[in-house]
Amino acid sequence: MANEVCLRNMDLDRPWLLEQYKSRGGYQMLTKILTEKTPPDTIIEEVKKSGLRGRGGAGFPTGLKWSFISRNAPGQKFVVCNSDEGEPGTFKDRDILRYNPHQLIEGMIIAGYAIGATLGYNYIRGEFWEPYERFEHALEEARAAGYLGENLLGSGFDFELHSHLGGGAYICGEETALLESIEGKKGQPRYKPPFPAHFGLYGRPTIINNTESLASIPVILEKGGEWFKDLGVENSGGSKLFSISGNINKPGVYEIPMGTPFAELLEMAGGMKDGRPCKAVIPGGSSAPVIPGDMMLDLTMDYDAIAKAGSMLGSGAVIVMDDSNCMVKILERMSYFYYEESCGQCTPCREGTGWLYRVVHRIENGQGRWEDLELLEDVTKKIAGRTICALGDAAAMPVQGMLKHFRDEFEYHIEHKRCMVGA
Amino acid sequence: MSEEQTVTIEVDGRELKAQAGAMLIDVTDAAGINIPRFCYHKKLSVAANCRMCLVEVAKVPKPLPACATPVADGMKVYTRSPLALAAQKGTMEFLLINHPLDCPICDQGGECELQDVALGYGSDVSRYVEGKRVVKDKDIGPLVATDLTRCIHCTRCVRFGAEIAGVRELGATGRGEHMTIGTYIEKSVDSELSGNIIDVCPVGSLTSKPFRFQARAWELTQFDGIAPHDSVGSNIHLHVRRNEVMRVHPKENEAVNECWISDRDRFSYVGLQSDERLTAPMIKRKGGWTEVDWPEALDETARVLKQLHGDQVGALASPASTLEELHLLQALMAGLGSNHVETRLRQNDFRGKAPSFPWLGRPIAELETVDAALLIGSNVRKEQPLLGHRLRKAALEGAQISYINPFEIDLNYAADQMVDTPFGMLADVAGVAKALGATGGLIDSAKVDETHQAVADQLKQATKASILLGNIAAAHPDYAILCGLAEKIAQASGATLGFLPQAANSVGAQLLTGKGNNAAEMLANPCKSYVLVGLEPAYDFWNPAQASAALKAADSVIALTSFRSPSLEQTATVMLPMAAFTETSGTFVNAEGIWQSFSGIVRPAGEARPGWKILRVLGNLLDLPGFEQESSEEVLAEIRENLADKKPDNSLGDELPAQQLSQTSGLQRIGDVPIYAVDPLVRRSMPLQQTHDAIAAAVYINANEAGKAGLSEGDRVSVKQDGHQATLGIIIDSNIPDGAVRIPAGVAGSETLAGQFGQVTLEKA
Amino acid sequence: MRAMRDYIKSLFLLELMKGFGVTGRYLFKKKFTVQYPEEKAPVSPRFRGLHAQRRYPNGEERCIACKLCEAVCPALAITIEAEPREDGSRRTTRYDIDLFKCIYCGYCQESCPVDAIVETRVYEYHFENREDSIMTKDNLLAIGDKYEAQIAADIAAQAKYR
Repeated sequence: MANEVCLRNMDLDRPWLLEQYKSRGGYQMLTKILTEKTPPDTIIEEVKKSGLRGRGGAGFPTGLKWSFISRNAPGQKFVVCNSDEGEPGTFKDRDILRYNPHQLIEGMIIAGYAIGATLGYNYIRGEFWEPYERFEHALEEARAAGYLGENLLGSGFDFELHSHLGGGAYICGEETALLESIEGKKGQPRYKPPFPAHFGLYGRPTIINNTESLASIPVILEKGGEWFKDLGVENSGGSKLFSISGNINKPGVYEIPMGTPFAELLEMAGGMKDGRPCKAVIPGGSSAPVIPGDMMLDLTMDYDAIAKAGSMLGSGAVIVMDDSNCMVKILERMSYFYYEESCGQCTPCREGTGWLYRVVHRIENGQGRWEDLELLEDVTKKIAGRTICALGDAAAMPVQGMLKHFRDEFEYHIEHKRCMVGA
Repeated sequence: MSEEQTVTIEVDGRELKAQAGAMLIDVTDAAGINIPRFCYHKKLSVAANCRMCLVEVAKVPKPLPACATPVADGMKVYTRSPLALAAQKGTMEFLLINHPLDCPICDQGGECELQDVALGYGSDVSRYVEGKRVVKDKDIGPLVATDLTRCIHCTRCVRFGAEIAGVRELGATGRGEHMTIGTYIEKSVDSELSGNIIDVCPVGSLTSKPFRFQARAWELTQFDGIAPHDSVGSNIHLHVRRNEVMRVHPKENEAVNECWISDRDRFSYVGLQSDERLTAPMIKRKGGWTEVDWPEALDETARVLKQLHGDQVGALASPASTLEELHLLQALMAGLGSNHVETRLRQNDFRGKAPSFPWLGRPIAELETVDAALLIGSNVRKEQPLLGHRLRKAALEGAQISYINPFEIDLNYAADQMVDTPFGMLADVAGVAKALGATGGLIDSAKVDETHQAVADQLKQATKASILLGNIAAAHPDYAILCGLAEKIAQASGATLGFLPQAANSVGAQLLTGKGNNAAEMLANPCKSYVLVGLEPAYDFWNPAQASAALKAADSVIALTSFRSPSLEQTATVMLPMAAFTETSGTFVNAEGIWQSFSGIVRPAGEARPGWKILRVLGNLLDLPGFEQESSEEVLAEIRENLADKKPDNSLGDELPAQQLSQTSGLQRIGDVPIYAVDPLVRRSMPLQQTHDAIAAAVYINANEAGKAGLSEGDRVSVKQDGHQATLGIIIDSNIPDGAVRIPAGVAGSETLAGQFGQVTLEKA
Repeated sequence: MRAMRDYIKSLFLLELMKGFGVTGRYLFKKKFTVQYPEEKAPVSPRFRGLHAQRRYPNGEERCIACKLCEAVCPALAITIEAEPREDGSRRTTRYDIDLFKCIYCGYCQESCPVDAIVETRVYEYHFENREDSIMTKDNLLAIGDKYEAQIAADIAAQAKYR
């Protein structure tokens, strides 16, 4: 059941090459759409039917997002792909760019066709040099083969696609900050509304989707929305890439249907390293609240199940921790990340992330005070929901999750001025 | 307006009517409901980054920023509910953790938005025990002091630069806590409107450098005033302590200056304390200056004036003199049988009929709604900065702004610039006129190129267009022809003809003076005696060499002046100390034709007296009728009565001078007056003189012309003009056209030269 | 009954006798009149006498020209002028207290954020010329230098009550 959508060509020798992609029916869906002149509404309907939800983390239904664009509005419209995969623990889009770039290109062209855009950008994370080069190579191949440029396959539809290598800021993974960055400005999120569908890149209507979402499109259209939906479970259609890392034997990217039990995923990843018990799991990238291991082993990997457990499926970055990890140390590391990566635009996040980091740092280093735990909780409450973008929430949630499930470790640190783990 | 929907919202239980789509904070502000804010500013774009204005909106789980939430019908807003207050207090705590709490040494203390809001929303104990962020201060020039540790990152200054000043000089670099405001590379902030960032900064991060640590807000008394340096007539607040003007702030007036003022209006006050203030009357005796008391000085002056009659005496006054001063000066001269009173000292071509009430042609506020404008001989951005700002607003809305100038000017929006020698300018203006189908004089022989045609088309197609003549045009040797051509263009295109008057009261002066010999005539055929009001002979005349010679040759020169200056000491015989603009009452007529009166708010320096009073007493001493006024208001009432039927009128005489005076051969001088050289007060404001815009006298020449003359950057050259000479440095400037050199007037170094325009020769010194 | 009692009291001058009793008692008690100036009464550490300006131990003047004392002074006795010192710090160029105007309320000391202006225990001072009543910055600093030990001790003693 694994590797059906984005990683379906992984068994090929060099799946990133155009000829290999085409050998598995690549670009056939695009050709079909362009020659049959499929009405864009049909495509959007099919995507809606598939139940595909944004794979970048927020899980917003992709088809619905596309339908917000008024297709007949005059002027330029844009398709933007968000490959600025910066969330700690996430590395799934990297594999799509590396091993299946043409499927992404095909997906973006179809997206462009569906909303009437003729120009696309793929914003690639600054550190992804190799994937960037591979994607650039794929673009060249696609251009040479007539899949990009003017009058694609004689259909009269134009579409050009450029990739843009980021500067290395996590915040540019936020969609509006990403747009600012493409425009050449400082990567800072914009206040929403207006949403990119109305006021996006250069003020024009723009759809912006995650790499995985866009790369799924050709397969969805080929096999039908129903097929995709049926792969997964209710409210979580399709299969999804999970990048699993941590204290396991085979970290990596696994494509499995939504709703697969976590235990099964853990098994695919070779189980826990050295057979140690699973202490905690962060199921959706560093900004998702942590879930204790025993609780996690009973969960299935889909939006609703994880949400019910008080966390988020997010981008599907599963970080598994065994009992050798000190949760205070882990939170310190994560808080430092958000402190470093806050863009500095709005007050709660700029000042709050630094405060959180400093307090956790103090506790970790044996200078914690009893009132610090309450302070941490209060500060996260003052950040969450009061910032321009979601980074504030992302910085607050791990702290709240840790304090909820592992408060004893923090208390131990404060009381004994040293670590509980290994004590 | 009828299309716009009105919605009803409820704020804290109060029902408010608002326009659909208006931002919540605008609606509550209009209703007098206070929501704390830092980043929001009504004239700037919404950033929604400070999160101080978070309020609770019914049915929305999270608090929303009032500055970025559009109102919708039936919306229920709570600005002081527990949720809203918790959000506001939370933001306040965050803002304060990294903000230094040393208000006693901060210059903003006492008038700080953060301090005020902290009083209501801050906690008395800090829970933050770690070290605070410290940011190194940057030197951004002589006008604005920085204290970047105090910055709360509201980005008002950044947005001001990008949106209002039109120069992205300030920006935020760094992420998160490391974000700092700065100039990217080390440089000064040079915008002519830069001082306004002091006002928009809600904390003490950007403060006035000349005012630094001088006084506290609570020590200052605020008075209203009118800025005296350009024809905008910006409304200002003068802040006074112990009889001294400590600083100048803008006074809001949407019709005139909105809520901004130019740096020139903001920092010129420093010149009031200049060591060169004339504090007692002085008489030249045996070649030396003697301080005397007022009775003696006035008797002496009256004695001199009594011996004069008719054409023997002429009066030259600064165009920044008040209406009252000019009225009494006119009356004084009339009493002596002379009608030679002139303020157009930077004009040389007086052919053609002058308009009876030359003005902007339309209200100042309307300037931002034009669809097209053609500016002839104008560096409006530096000459009337706030009019330049209005035109920029129009340009950003899509208006086509074009310039015909003798050198390329630095603009902060896209505009067509036709650059040609002074002589070539005529051809360009005529070309545009021809493209519009006008005929007569120069126009018939003009060549129309693509640019002329494009500008002509823009003007014709525009529903609202302006043709504006600027200060460079006014100094042009063929000003009369430029005016005539401009009128033809206006007539042919349906555009409005307007003038960009030079000084605070240029318009008012035109209403009262100019009935006798003009300035050029008065200096070309020297009078026996002159009366000067508010002038420095070396810097305030079109042809300073000629002016100095004429004044030196005169038997007597009575100077009413606020400042001693070497050129005045050389030429005058009596110096009467006149009050500066903060010390006297008076009235200016601005470019739009608005009469704006102001009163004296500090005692004049030393023995100085208001100009109108000096003139009135002189009238009494000469036993002339019409000098019985007790107050400047009485003088003003007289003027109003005399001018009751005057309406703004830009119409010129029909006849166009046929002969062109501007030369076609040799290097032509372009003698524009730099922004900080326009009047004696500005020239004495040290902070302004230290800015980049305060350019010194030099020869600006393009590389091509310099190459031909074998000159390179930094060379010293001997400049000869009309038998006069000056030694100046060479600056290579690609903005200057072939066949011309720019040698600024009004600045030290070029005062020994002749007219602002004319042929010059360069010779390596 | 009451009238009766009052009559007897006034007849025998009882109230007067009581008064003489008190006088008599004190007549033979130990005297507590202080023979100023040979003797001096004890002075409270909160005494508000002559003003002084203090320095930090490194010799740096404390006053930062915030002008709060000038603002709070109910008698308008303080006049301050300030400008940036060469090192960029905020300092006074003039700090005058007119002792004829001063009402010794101590508000200046209360408002001072850096404990720069204080009122010392010194109450013995005089002027020989009218203009001497204006204490300049130099005078104030000199007084501060002279009594620093006492001032510091007094402030420390009071610290917990403020």
